[in-house]
Amino acid sequence: MSSDEIKIDYTKKEIPSGFSRLGFVLLIIGLILVILSFITDYNRTTQNSVIIFTFLTSISIGSLFLVALEYLAGAVWSVPFRRISEIISFIIFLIPIFALPSLLNFHGVFHWSHPEAVANDKLLQVKAPYLNETFFVIRNIVIFVIWWLFYIFLTGNSKKQDSTYDQSLTRKNIKISAVFMPFFGISLTIIAIDWLMSLEPHWFSTIFGVYYFAGTILSALACLTLMVLYLNEKGLLVKGLTKDHYYSLGALMFAFVNFWAYIAFSQFMLIWYANLPEETFWFITRWQGGWSYLSYGLIFIHFVIPYAILLPQPAKMDPFRLKLAAIIILLAHFYDLYWLSMPSFSKDVVLFSWYEIAFPILAIGLFITIFSIKSKKINLVPIGDPKIKRAMEFKL
Amino acid sequence: MSDKKLYSITALFNTPDEISKAAEVVTNEGFKKFDVNTPYPVHGLSSRMKLKPSTLGYFALALGLSGAAIALLFMYWTMSIDYPMIIGGKPFFALPAFIPVTFEVTVLLASVGTVLVMLFFFFRLPNNSHPLHDTEYMKKVSVDKFGVSIEAKDPIFDAEKVKQLFASLGAEKIEEIYYDEEEINHKHKIFEPRFIAFLFVIAIVVSGGTYFTLNKLLYMSPFNFMLDQHRINPQTKTNIFADGFAMRPPVDGTVARGTIPYLYKDDPEKAGMLLSNPLLATEENLALGQKKFNTFCSPCHGYFGAGDSRLNGQFPNPPSLHSEKLIQWQDGRIYHVIQVGQNIMPSYSKQLTENEKWAIVLYIRALQRALNAKEDDLK
Amino acid sequence: MSVDYTREVSVIEGNPSFSAVNELISRPLDERPDKKFYFALAITLSMLGTGAVCLGITFWFGTGVWGLNNPVGWAFDIVNFVFWVGIGHAGTLISAILFLFRQRWRTGIARFAEGMTIFAVMTAGLFPLIHTGRPWLDGYLLPYPNQHHLWVNFTSPLLWDVFAVSTYFTVSFVFWYIGLMPDFANLRDRAKSRIKKIIYSIFSLGWRHSHRHWHHYEMIYLILAGFATPLVLSVHTIVSFDFAVSILPGWHTTIFPPYFVAGAVFSGFAMVQNVLIFIRKIFNMEHIITMDTLEKMNKIMLLTGSMVGYAYGMEFFIAWYGGNPIEFFVFVNRAFGDYAWSYWVMVSCNLLFPQLFWFKKIRTNIKAMFVIGVLVNVGMWFERFVIIVTTLSRDFLPSSWGFFTPTIFDLGILIGSFGLFFTLLLLFTKTLPVVSIAEVKAVLDHAQPKHHHGE
Repeated sequence: MSSDEIKIDYTKKEIPSGFSRLGFVLLIIGLILVILSFITDYNRTTQNSVIIFTFLTSISIGSLFLVALEYLAGAVWSVPFRRISEIISFIIFLIPIFALPSLLNFHGVFHWSHPEAVANDKLLQVKAPYLNETFFVIRNIVIFVIWWLFYIFLTGNSKKQDSTYDQSLTRKNIKISAVFMPFFGISLTIIAIDWLMSLEPHWFSTIFGVYYFAGTILSALACLTLMVLYLNEKGLLVKGLTKDHYYSLGALMFAFVNFWAYIAFSQFMLIWYANLPEETFWFITRWQGGWSYLSYGLIFIHFVIPYAILLPQPAKMDPFRLKLAAIIILLAHFYDLYWLSMPSFSKDVVLFSWYEIAFPILAIGLFITIFSIKSKKINLVPIGDPKIKRAMEFKL
Repeated sequence: MSDKKLYSITALFNTPDEISKAAEVVTNEGFKKFDVNTPYPVHGLSSRMKLKPSTLGYFALALGLSGAAIALLFMYWTMSIDYPMIIGGKPFFALPAFIPVTFEVTVLLASVGTVLVMLFFFFRLPNNSHPLHDTEYMKKVSVDKFGVSIEAKDPIFDAEKVKQLFASLGAEKIEEIYYDEEEINHKHKIFEPRFIAFLFVIAIVVSGGTYFTLNKLLYMSPFNFMLDQHRINPQTKTNIFADGFAMRPPVDGTVARGTIPYLYKDDPEKAGMLLSNPLLATEENLALGQKKFNTFCSPCHGYFGAGDSRLNGQFPNPPSLHSEKLIQWQDGRIYHVIQVGQNIMPSYSKQLTENEKWAIVLYIRALQRALNAKEDDLK
Repeated sequence: MSVDYTREVSVIEGNPSFSAVNELISRPLDERPDKKFYFALAITLSMLGTGAVCLGITFWFGTGVWGLNNPVGWAFDIVNFVFWVGIGHAGTLISAILFLFRQRWRTGIARFAEGMTIFAVMTAGLFPLIHTGRPWLDGYLLPYPNQHHLWVNFTSPLLWDVFAVSTYFTVSFVFWYIGLMPDFANLRDRAKSRIKKIIYSIFSLGWRHSHRHWHHYEMIYLILAGFATPLVLSVHTIVSFDFAVSILPGWHTTIFPPYFVAGAVFSGFAMVQNVLIFIRKIFNMEHIITMDTLEKMNKIMLLTGSMVGYAYGMEFFIAWYGGNPIEFFVFVNRAFGDYAWSYWVMVSCNLLFPQLFWFKKIRTNIKAMFVIGVLVNVGMWFERFVIIVTTLSRDFLPSSWGFFTPTIFDLGILIGSFGLFFTLLLLFTKTLPVVSIAEVKAVLDHAQPKHHHGE
């Protein structure tokens, strides 16, 4: 239980100004584009907000999940990166802003919110105790508040440890992480059901929560990998990070690319095989009009390409290929969420133009801005963590 | 003891640090034919011995992809070409359903194949006749010592220099290893007579066992229980019926499947009045009518229904179908003749389906129209 | 009891020497079996014998001697199959997945767990073979050109099972064998009797502990682990497809694949933990199979048990959400119908009791964890029973509803399967090293060089 200061080679620096400026520019452009798109096509913009909402939720709460996972598993290799995940998960506080457009336009987004539709549809009536505006808003608020609390406690202890080097903070965080996990599982499932599955209220799939979870953890890992590699190149992280540290990031991304493909295939194959119209229509919607090309594309961009990039063992340690894979995976996750939600709004026609990239540009700008603000305030490496020295000595 | 051939000089060390240093030094000295023996893999030795990264991964990739290709092609051939069956309404090449088997075969071929490649080609194992077997050196290495063995075959081998090198590294024990008699000419076992004989025995046992199982055992109890069933087989005797026949004629009043009773057998007038041609004069129907007419009717009535077949001149003449009488007949009346026959013309009901008969009627009408065309028809 | 996070936890406690480890693990193979061994073997053999007799009677008279009927065409046969395949999964998970995650605590238990996998898969494989009715025609399960010009149905999950289970057995066996090669060489080099020396020599394939070989060996281990991981997930996924591809309410639900895999790991770990508690005591290996290892296994049980609980919750929620009254009825029937007692056994054993593992005191108490492990296995057996039998007993038309009662032969074969598994396990402990000697040596505190530059 030593509280000795463990010397590691880290000096706190800020994000390079070029990067912050890029973030700011993207933020402004994104804001303008979003406002324009609101003015020109309100419904479509609110529908797009669902995609960015679920995308940012997955990255942020997924990052908090990675933090909790590190505590529970007692992982050592990821300790130098944990602070990056903590910073990414700060976005949890900003996500409700992206939820507002759809909440203010329930009717344009959620079919089940139309009372006339419910009155004529037995299936919607059965679901009404769950799919109604009031309960929807309440449970989402509760989930976010609890997530905020977990963020505050977990990252608060971690930050405090930077100065106190107190090992009991690690113990506390392990307990908090243990409580977080089951709540995470249930809350993530609820988000997936509410914001993605209910867009097609006649459809259901018990594996849907797991599907969203697969995308969540993949995107959180990809985001972490990208940031870690970039920051290390610019010398902002602790000195002494080697390929061995990167290996696990690559291996985990590879593993979860496989996991996503497995879940996606299971969901598809079971519904295809049984051929029950009450379930198949959802996939058929994604096979008609131009959507069939997108469905094929999803398999390629989300599975085949990242798999091929990350398969060789050296690839999992090579910064270039890791960055490439991470970017593709993030794009693929966005693509996936788009593929999940858009066909419900636009059957037969694939809608993709500047409307769809307005929110992403805003989100990227916001993300970079947050990062540069945070980098001014806190250490980018948890220097007080008791495992940090072991982490720096980590070898495969 | 005769003068034995030296295989190598070995040295034993006590700690992983010592063996790491030894490996590095020996490699740097320029030795090529040497080996390091450790009871478990020691980290860092591969780079110190300047070993190239293992290429097994490529084999695994190639074997895996081959496995996938083989599985998919096989399923494609059996399920889509050789014996296609509609199962569950799915297409013959049901890719989602083929994925699980493809995956399993990929993994099977990749794993087992790579292991075999490694054992047989990379390691050249099984080989129980290596000079290092059965030596004190090997016994110690198995338990807790780390060893280096520099072969005499190495181009820069010099017994004294090697021993000095080992001593300078702090070796605990330095030993010379000699070839055993039979090891000198070690051939790969695969062509050894004993192995071939072994394969031969296996072949005989397997084929004999298979023959016995499939041709004899399956006809013994309890494996033959399903062969001996409590049912009557065709063309056998039985006590159940008085006449002793197992096969019985159909019950009175049985009709053949697909039989449609013809109600106007003795009433051609009614047939003419009540039956009407259900077929429209489409190209398809007329083509069918033409084909069937040419097959069944033309031998007697001629290709154009003029009664000018090779039977013309024999008594009774097959009549022309262009007579006034026939032009006046209704479609149903003509159908009746095809169905029931007339005079010496037999019934064609067993050779033609209902559709085909009506098509012939249509065609006859077309032939009649052809010889009796009106001005309008030319438009 | 506070942990110091700055220190690495020793995988093997007490830092024994290489030769001490060598001796400890190989000694049971030298000694003659004692009375306790024969006593245990007698028990397992009599269980096996019971099963063999019941199986013989089944062969002679047909599967009608089981309790199967219309509509419950699958019962103990498939429940036992899924149960045993599930138990096999823990071994591969420990061997392969924990290896990929570089969890060194797997070292002391990997050999044993893999052995358990192989024996469990062998036991499991019996059930599809015997439930075909005419097992001597099982050759038709494999696609080969035959005089009927028929091929197997590649679109059927029952056939996928054939490929999956046989691939799983083969790859697990190969993986196990590759791990055993260095140990066989070790045993060969210390063998006193000539026969043993010849046998070990043959099985060692002439392994010489050469680093040029270790170099490739480490790669093949990684490759095999990398393949075994998706393989083990795929096997129980394919088993779950047996049910999920159907249109039966209660069976046709997309969450089955990960749910079954989590359940398999859950029950497998419970069985491994149970057996290891005995092994470490009997063979004096408490410093190799440490309390830390057992605690981590209990944590994994808690995790996978919670995943199983999540799946129960999702199924139930979606049964309501989907608005299909028949689907909803299936779940209500499970809890309150004819087989309600089995449902509540399942829920309490799988959901309630494992939650006790939140408490460190219970996670580290041998008696408590053993009892919970047994309960988990009971619960998981009943989970398969609930899924299969309650769903089948309530067919689409009420006129087709039926009730299943197991016969003495069903129970006898179940007992026999345990007999087979434990007999094989007992024989394993006396013929092969239950812990991987080479791997344990490699993770001792003094095993690796202190300074090694990047590889």
